[in-house]
Amino acid sequence: MFTSIRTTLHLAAAFGLLTFPAFAQTYVEPPFFAEKVAKKELPPVAERIPQTPIVVNPAGGQYGGDVVTLVSRARDIRYISTWAYTRLVGYDRSLQLQPDLLEKIDNEDDRIFTFTLRAGHRWSDGAPFTTEDFRYYWEDVAQNPDLSPAGPPEFMMVDGNLPRFEMLDERTMRYTWDKPNPRFLPQLAGPLDPGIYRASAYLKRFHAKYADKAALEEQAKKNKLKNWAALHNRLDDMKEQTNPDLPTLMPWRITNTAPATRFVFERNPYYHRVDHKGQQLPYVDRMIMDVSAGGLFAAKANAGEIDLLFRGLMMSDVPILKEGEKAKGYRTLLWPYARGTELALYPNLNTTDPVWRKLNRDLRFRKALSLGIDRKTLNNALLFGLGTEGNNTVVAESPLFAPELRTLNAAYNPDEASRLLDEIGLTERNGAGIRLLPDGRELEIIVETDGESTLVVDGLTLISEFWREIGVRLFVKPQDRTVLRNRSFAGLTVMVAAQGFDNAIPTAIMPPTEFAPMRQDNYAWPKWGQYVETKGKNGEAVDIPEAKRLLELYSTWMNTGNRTVQADVWREMLRNHAENQWVIGTVAGALQPIVMRNGLLGLPEKALYSFEPTAMIGIYRPDEIYWNKAAGKEARR
Amino acid sequence: MIRFLLRRLVTMVVTLLIISALVFFIIKLPPGDFLTNQIAELRAQGESASIAKAEFLIKQYGLDRPAWEQYLVWIGLMPGPNGFSGLLQGDWGWSFEFDKPVVEVVGDALWLTLLVNLAVVIFIHIVSIPIAIYSATRQYSVGDYIATFIGYIGLATPSFLLALILLYYMNRWFGVSIGGLYDAQYAGEPWTWDKIKSLLSHLIVPTLVIGLAGTAAMIRRMRANLLDELGKQYYVTAKAKGLGPNRALLKYPFRMSLNPFIADIGNLLPHLISGSVLVSLVLSLPTVGPILLSALKSQDQFLAGFILMFVAVLTVIGMLISDLLLAMLDPRIRLGGGR
Amino acid sequence: MNTVMSSKRHYVDPAPFDPGATEPVGAESESFYRASSWRLMWWKFRRHKVAVAAAFILLVFYLIVPFVEVIAPYNQTKRNGDFIYAPPQAIHLMHEGRFVGPFVYPYRQSFNLERFQRVYTVDRASPEPIRFFCRGDAYNFWGLVAANVHLVCPPVNGTMFVLGTDRLGRDLLSRIIYGARISLTIGVVGIAVSFTLGLFFGGLAGYLGGWVDHVIQRMIEILRSLPELPLWLALSAALPPNWSPILVFFGITIILGLLDWPGLARAVRSKLLSLREEDFVKAAELMGASKQRIIARHLIPNFMSHLIASATLSIPSMILGETALSFLGLGLRPPVTSWGVLLNEAQNLAAVQLHPWLLFPIVPVIIVVLAFNFMGDGLRDAADPYH
Repeated sequence: MFTSIRTTLHLAAAFGLLTFPAFAQTYVEPPFFAEKVAKKELPPVAERIPQTPIVVNPAGGQYGGDVVTLVSRARDIRYISTWAYTRLVGYDRSLQLQPDLLEKIDNEDDRIFTFTLRAGHRWSDGAPFTTEDFRYYWEDVAQNPDLSPAGPPEFMMVDGNLPRFEMLDERTMRYTWDKPNPRFLPQLAGPLDPGIYRASAYLKRFHAKYADKAALEEQAKKNKLKNWAALHNRLDDMKEQTNPDLPTLMPWRITNTAPATRFVFERNPYYHRVDHKGQQLPYVDRMIMDVSAGGLFAAKANAGEIDLLFRGLMMSDVPILKEGEKAKGYRTLLWPYARGTELALYPNLNTTDPVWRKLNRDLRFRKALSLGIDRKTLNNALLFGLGTEGNNTVVAESPLFAPELRTLNAAYNPDEASRLLDEIGLTERNGAGIRLLPDGRELEIIVETDGESTLVVDGLTLISEFWREIGVRLFVKPQDRTVLRNRSFAGLTVMVAAQGFDNAIPTAIMPPTEFAPMRQDNYAWPKWGQYVETKGKNGEAVDIPEAKRLLELYSTWMNTGNRTVQADVWREMLRNHAENQWVIGTVAGALQPIVMRNGLLGLPEKALYSFEPTAMIGIYRPDEIYWNKAAGKEARR
Repeated sequence: MIRFLLRRLVTMVVTLLIISALVFFIIKLPPGDFLTNQIAELRAQGESASIAKAEFLIKQYGLDRPAWEQYLVWIGLMPGPNGFSGLLQGDWGWSFEFDKPVVEVVGDALWLTLLVNLAVVIFIHIVSIPIAIYSATRQYSVGDYIATFIGYIGLATPSFLLALILLYYMNRWFGVSIGGLYDAQYAGEPWTWDKIKSLLSHLIVPTLVIGLAGTAAMIRRMRANLLDELGKQYYVTAKAKGLGPNRALLKYPFRMSLNPFIADIGNLLPHLISGSVLVSLVLSLPTVGPILLSALKSQDQFLAGFILMFVAVLTVIGMLISDLLLAMLDPRIRLGGGR
Repeated sequence: MNTVMSSKRHYVDPAPFDPGATEPVGAESESFYRASSWRLMWWKFRRHKVAVAAAFILLVFYLIVPFVEVIAPYNQTKRNGDFIYAPPQAIHLMHEGRFVGPFVYPYRQSFNLERFQRVYTVDRASPEPIRFFCRGDAYNFWGLVAANVHLVCPPVNGTMFVLGTDRLGRDLLSRIIYGARISLTIGVVGIAVSFTLGLFFGGLAGYLGGWVDHVIQRMIEILRSLPELPLWLALSAALPPNWSPILVFFGITIILGLLDWPGLARAVRSKLLSLREEDFVKAAELMGASKQRIIARHLIPNFMSHLIASATLSIPSMILGETALSFLGLGLRPPVTSWGVLLNEAQNLAAVQLHPWLLFPIVPVIIVVLAFNFMGDGLRDAADPYH
């Protein structure tokens, strides 16, 4: 069944990316480092760039400038590790996998992966980036019971088996599994970098195996940490950006720590991307994040106080953003947000109340609720009529899309909805016209939500009116998010309202984890998800045949390297969702505003925005953003 | 005087102790706490590394002990796992949400809170005294009515809305950046003249907004007191003896009417400080208000407890200062040993 | 500085002194001396014009409270999908020079894709008269009786958004009227809580004296020196998240009242202390009256007027407190409508810039707070015979 495919991913000339050896290029020193190079504190740029860097050919690019953006809390600076999108292998704009930090990937059957690093690639502190960094992670961190009590990350295990890791030389390594692991590469290209490598030269100083354990324990105690492992883990955070001393491979590195209201990221002198003119990316010298209350983001953008902003702005902010454009000299890009749906209803199939449990599991009930929603009105009220009405499913740009995925069971048909509810047996109504449950209670669905999105809350207000016409009462209950999640995990929620699928532009190679009952943070099947995540210790086993089919399909996907098989699995899973309405979708296609000051260029006018798989603006390469000085807009210092 | 001071100090300490108990009780009211909530979630996700850390923290901060023991440990009267280490010893606790000591989280915010409140008190004095004098001496004139009217409006308008509106117009007309206490580019930089100017321009809105309600109350009080005094005999005598009207006013009735004025500042402090918390929330100033709100929402108990204590201490000390001022001003109180 | 207290100007009157001229005699003084304290208070209060006006305004507001369903032109939840963020419609009387009666000009929504805004074009050609005493949206009067009579209704097939609409197309005026019910009630219920507590503790302290007095005094001092908002925040955060809106409502009122009673208690206590030594109390004691009777029958009525004045002056802070809490998201939340909740929904600067009518709920808040303040001032002046 598995045909042996030897796929070699090279940097294809078709995408305009070329590999040149160093001597064929002259590099231009970024003015930001000119002084340091002159004082011999930094080697000149030609020695800092790997021998085979990635050469990009963007439409324009000039050195210089700072970009000011906002975060709502100090912790949120960690999202730069998402959208700076520096990965071993990443998606390009057409969602194809391309090596980024890696020079070459040899993929045999999704089972044997041979990675080649770039010669001369260094960390931001000048230490070489070699396979030793991978070995350190794999043997000394992931499999060290003190540092990782839970063991290596789940996506690296197939049927509970770890791969075999071999260091072939200082630039080449190989991971070998007995059975295919098709999740491996997509996970490495995901919005949250799993990080299977570490800055070993720096971290070895804090590892008990390589340094004096007693001294480390002493240091740990001084920092109020339990032991050397906690100290190591605290310093080793590639994502949180709290350790300015930790070397990085990202285009910018953090230079100060909390508490602060302004966080400054400076360019990484050893970054591995250059443009065809010999300039080392990123173009922008510093990325500056100011902490400000979330509610003031739109106001500050409107007042012209920021250079770039996307996370924290919503579609409802667009009118006020547009208002200030001319006066303050910025523009608002409107990118479609690729999400399954903006407002999804998750009937909890594992709820503990027996009456609701039975109803939620009844396909006719879910279908009726879906048919009873007037999506057109929702669209007009919430998305200015610009959204797409229909199910919680993938967007049209995805190769796996089919029109009936969106429309099946998603029309507005209150009569049919009523008929289905009657068929279930909910024929009795009380004086107000609300149907009664078999035990005499009103058919009042308590929909819990974390209340953070006004769109969801408003949508629920509208849906409550639609459902009243078919005899169902809806009660909205805002909860704190942690409380909501805990209640869901415990099976106490009847229905939850939240956004739909995160990854709405999947391709066949991306794992369909969201669409199978694999995770407990899906509000529709928290206990089934728990069962899978804890390997049977908690939760309940899946007992609805259609949902079981989803698990089977997922395992089929997991065990194959064949692209056609994977695409078929996806299609069947998507269809399964449309037919069974596990999650009821309403309208999709909100617009994500992206504010860019005039003169700041480099992002496309219109592109799909999402968390997964585009890593916000990640796949559009923010390291290629630049200030066009000719436009007369000098960056602030 | 010394005895008076000592007596007030002792009362103050007792008051603070009781307040700390009250604060702790309120903090512990919501069921569960940050760590237990977090553990429940982590356990469900199978993240045993973080669970171990959380359990370690629970032991470290004694969250598994009964509430009254936790309180005493927090204060510093009972030894915790690390010996005596509580508020009295200067250890302000650990913030679970930020995963660092409380003192690092609040740090600068404390100074800025102090600064804002001080600015408001000064503002109230500077503004209300002249207006009150003017109002009392030109009673029923147009100026009097206007002043009273503005005062009342300030009293009745919810401060947060006023803050938002003023914020917007300050930005529109004067280019003052939105939110924060100084322009973002000065963050982390040393105090230059430019930074101070930026600070002052940002202080205008919060001071105005918080101070408005207090100013209104003060003006009314001061005006009523002054009117009382102006009808008294000694003032007539002073004028009859040939003292000019201004001098006569400032030398006698004014000083008398200052008494209740100073006393009322003490009464006003709790309202002022609570008002400043609200306004700083809305304007997202880097003071303790926003930190408190998020700490309360996430049940980060030591952080929330510390901030509440800080605010209470500020209030109590402020009242002490006003009592002292009053005692200095009015010998009757000093010798009578308190009200 | 010649205009200093014209009422207190000192001068020497050359006319001979007539004792009768300084004291009221005759029928007027007769009734004056025979009037009960309440009547005296009323007469004095009546002279304070502003306070009377304030009291009248408040009366109107509170009269609206039981009848909000009838007075509001729309239902609380009535939505118009075609009129989102619609600006206020003015009510005109004259159309093209002729008197037509109260009417509105209709408008239609169109969407400006350039600026992502809804634009409303007014049609000045066709006036639509509004109706009175008509049948409009259905409602449940006091939650019991189904009815649909309204005082004022929009024109048939038309709209009447006197204060504009919000983001779901709900009429703001109607929501403000419904919000009055909650906001005004909170003030009164909160005061009831703090009144009871203040009376109880103040009475104990004042009458019993001794260590009870001491303890309660300390308690009062401590509570008064606490800043209210942070405590309100903490207490509101302690409200269990799964409480129904009604429970949350009562929870909030109790929280607001809990921090307010010290002021009242102090007033009660000081009045009791001064009155305790009076002769009539002694007489009652000698006649064998029990402590409760003395407190209830003799002492309390004597300073009730002061208490009422103080209480009245506390209501505004409760209303403002609820507004602040709901604004922060810790008080009431939708679907409960109060003025604070309405202001919360108008919180971001977009409201100030693009839809300023959303800030209108601030006006009734200001009016009510001012009215309570003026009325309270008047009551206090009237209650104190020595002023």
